[in-house]
Amino acid sequence: MIRPPSRLGRTIQMIILILMGVIALYPIYFTILASGRPGQSLYTLNLAGMFFPTTWTWDNFRAMLVQSPFPLWVFNSLKVASATTVLSIVVVTSAAFAFSRFSFRGRSFGLILMLGLQAYPGLLSLSAITMILTAFQLYGKHTGLVLAYTTGTLVFSTWNLKGYFDTIPIDLEEAGMIDGCGPVQSFLLIALPLARPALAITALLGFLSGWSDFVFASALVPAPDSMKLAVPALYGLSNSLSTPWGQFAAGFIIVVIPTIILFLWLQRYLEAGLTLGGVKG
Amino acid sequence: MVGWSGRRKALTILAFTLPTILGLLIFNIYPLVLNTYTSFTNNNKFHPNPDCTAGLNGVLVPYCWPFFAGAPKGLGVPFKIIEPIYANYQTIMGGLITQPGILSLLTIIACLVPVFLASQLDKRFERQLIRTIPSSVVWLTGILLALLLLWLFGLSAWNKMIDSGDFMAVMARTVLFVVLRVPITFVLGLMLALIVNSPGLPGKTFWRVVLFVPWAASSVAILTSLVWQFFFREQGTINQLLNLAFGFKGPVWLNDSNYAFAIIILVDVWYSYPFFMIAILGALSSISNDVYEAAEIDGANYWQELTGITLPMIRPAILPAIVLTSITAFQMFGTVWAITQGGPTKGAGVPGSTEFVMVYAYKQIFQLGNYGTATAFATIIFIVLFTATLYSLRVTQLTKGATA
Repeated sequence: MIRPPSRLGRTIQMIILILMGVIALYPIYFTILASGRPGQSLYTLNLAGMFFPTTWTWDNFRAMLVQSPFPLWVFNSLKVASATTVLSIVVVTSAAFAFSRFSFRGRSFGLILMLGLQAYPGLLSLSAITMILTAFQLYGKHTGLVLAYTTGTLVFSTWNLKGYFDTIPIDLEEAGMIDGCGPVQSFLLIALPLARPALAITALLGFLSGWSDFVFASALVPAPDSMKLAVPALYGLSNSLSTPWGQFAAGFIIVVIPTIILFLWLQRYLEAGLTLGGVKG
Repeated sequence: MVGWSGRRKALTILAFTLPTILGLLIFNIYPLVLNTYTSFTNNNKFHPNPDCTAGLNGVLVPYCWPFFAGAPKGLGVPFKIIEPIYANYQTIMGGLITQPGILSLLTIIACLVPVFLASQLDKRFERQLIRTIPSSVVWLTGILLALLLLWLFGLSAWNKMIDSGDFMAVMARTVLFVVLRVPITFVLGLMLALIVNSPGLPGKTFWRVVLFVPWAASSVAILTSLVWQFFFREQGTINQLLNLAFGFKGPVWLNDSNYAFAIIILVDVWYSYPFFMIAILGALSSISNDVYEAAEIDGANYWQELTGITLPMIRPAILPAIVLTSITAFQMFGTVWAITQGGPTKGAGVPGSTEFVMVYAYKQIFQLGNYGTATAFATIIFIVLFTATLYSLRVTQLTKGATA
């Protein structure tokens, strides 16, 4: 494995890579093509039209951005995702700091319990969450969604951030304490600035959990149209026969491509914590 | 932290962790408790409302809490704890305890005995100084033998098991899905990782990013899967391509049980092979070149290096990934929901042929309103997943050191 492969070997490798690369990208590429096709021509494709933009129109984007409530859905999603980001940073950093820096009874039990609770899939607790949000009059409101998403990211992010805090030497904080810092000050002024890279992951995961979710968003905010989030609303669009598929494709591009880019950016951070990433499910 | 203790310390810790504790209490622990309680009642769409004076309703069901405004005033008979108390579990699991259910399950387990034997044999051979039979031969023989047995005896047993009740049907299909998906994903991920990692490959970073895209797309699996669903429609891209390129009229893919199952596996493999690829790439980079150099001096070929060095060396890093990905695959929802919604149907009231556990639970709760039986199902699934998670924690040693 230290020698470069033979010429034949390299050719086979390149063929496999190109084939898998095409398969990896084609669904996305196909959607880009579809978003530029005039409304009815989707089913009357020629072979070339499946791979190259033979015709291009902005009609689908115009229809989505001007004539439909789609911009509102994207705005709702952005709102919920941003609120989730902020809330999860506040909640997660403080908990992770406590689990990393303080020793108290039930600490390791709490950490394990969190992972165990994570084994109960959110989908199964959804009916109970619906009831309790109804009781608090948060059902059908974005606030309820934000609370649910924040708890959803809690376990993974707390573990992740606690791991990061553990790697920061405690000496700095001890020096701070000698200078008269309390635990809150040492948290806010010393540990947090040092944990900035890990905070970025926490923030990004919080944002993605609010931005990309389907199950909670469709069950907890089912109506009205103006309150819906982008992902479930787009899913609903694709099922309604009155919407041309090209318009769905245009919406798909606007929602999915930024998500993919965010994820690609996140990749290098995720690699380290990849095995932990599986716990998130 | 040194130098402070007592009530002040307790209060500080509480302040730091209170939001987390509250969140877990409301959104994780409470649903768990309420679901377990509901699983002992006959709560369904005909008995949706609680009788707040009976049982634990007043404490557990939000509709009974005093500050709750605008409660739906009960129509019909309120739900109550059923007799016998385990009736919902009996409804769900009952088929398993009947004679054909147990028999078919045992038959299938018996068919897998060769694989178990192979692993034991392999362990014994491992202890010998000079291996007479290579590990791959032992494993392959075991697996082929098991497949032969499954083909001879397993198929009829499988059908009997599917017929013996919802739980068995859903569980068996989900396990089959996981058992097929994870190895395919692993082999594909391993192959791509080895290629991307091979020395002197042009554009290494480029391929890494390109091949990673499906996993990024999996975060919005519900939408991306709609594109795949479009590919496999009767008038979809695949059939168009078949028609234009070969003049061949393709089948209605998603109306056929086996095709639909295969398509779900295909799409889910597409989503998840980058996970393995990245994990294996990480593990590969930790193997020192010296080992390979030594092997090459000894005249080892590529295959011997792969099975003798690479696979054993990446094993500790890959095992957690396999366990965790199995748990994730078991809970897969979005892909199926967008492509088949659990169909094609097998008839009214019987789970469809791609109705895996999460899809089944979702349908039972949100479409059919069978809260009682659905929560019983959820409780069993929780026990399964909880056990799997604890096992994965032991295997992965994630918590080792972290909680010390």
